[in-house]
Amino acid sequence: MNEQRKDILDMLAEGKITPDEAERLIAALERDQPPMAASSEVRPKGKAKYLYLMVDSIDNGEPGRVNARVPLQLLRAGVQLAALIPPQALAQANAELSRSGVPFDLTQLKPEQLEALVEHLDEVTIEVDQPEAKVRVFCE
Amino acid sequence: MPQLLTVRVQRPQGRLIRIWVPVLPVVLVLSPFLILAALVAAVACLVYRVRVMRAFGTGWRLFCALPGTRFDVHEGRTAVLVSIR
Repeated sequence: MNEQRKDILDMLAEGKITPDEAERLIAALERDQPPMAASSEVRPKGKAKYLYLMVDSIDNGEPGRVNARVPLQLLRAGVQLAALIPPQALAQANAELSRSGVPFDLTQLKPEQLEALVEHLDEVTIEVDQPEAKVRVFCE
Repeated sequence: MPQLLTVRVQRPQGRLIRIWVPVLPVVLVLSPFLILAALVAAVACLVYRVRVMRAFGTGWRLFCALPGTRFDVHEGRTAVLVSIR
């Protein structure tokens, strides 16, 4: 269910809005949403297999291009390496991170969380457009 | 498991170098060194209190997940391609 539609139904259940208002809000929501089939950016549904990184840049007047394709399976296997890091190494890394102003506790990072992160990568698309460089990260 | 590693380098002078590395024969040829490296890795795991079998399992999974990896870099008239199949 759409997140905004769920919010409207929650407000209706809590009595914050009347059924008529809820109906009007849902109708407005449907009007604002473009039909999925009309979008040219819609990717085929299915499990993504690869993470793509594409960089087009111009350095000193010369065009440069980087295309990288990494299997998501490799990322999944890679995150399991986190479980192999010795505790003393994690403690040292934590100390260095806090010294650099990044108070991040690596011991709290669990392989299951990293795996969940990789699982949801297929919904991620990052696009950066700059006059001299264009970066695109996506999964397919 | 990876079968073939392809490296292609295009130099600015126009020379193109292509290298195909069949992984399995190379692994077989290097197997004595790989066994030695595995022993050293096992000792390192014991020293740093990392579970040896888990470390080897993760390493093997990483190795087996390599097929499909591809890096293609173009910079002016220079280009490098590394592909694992």
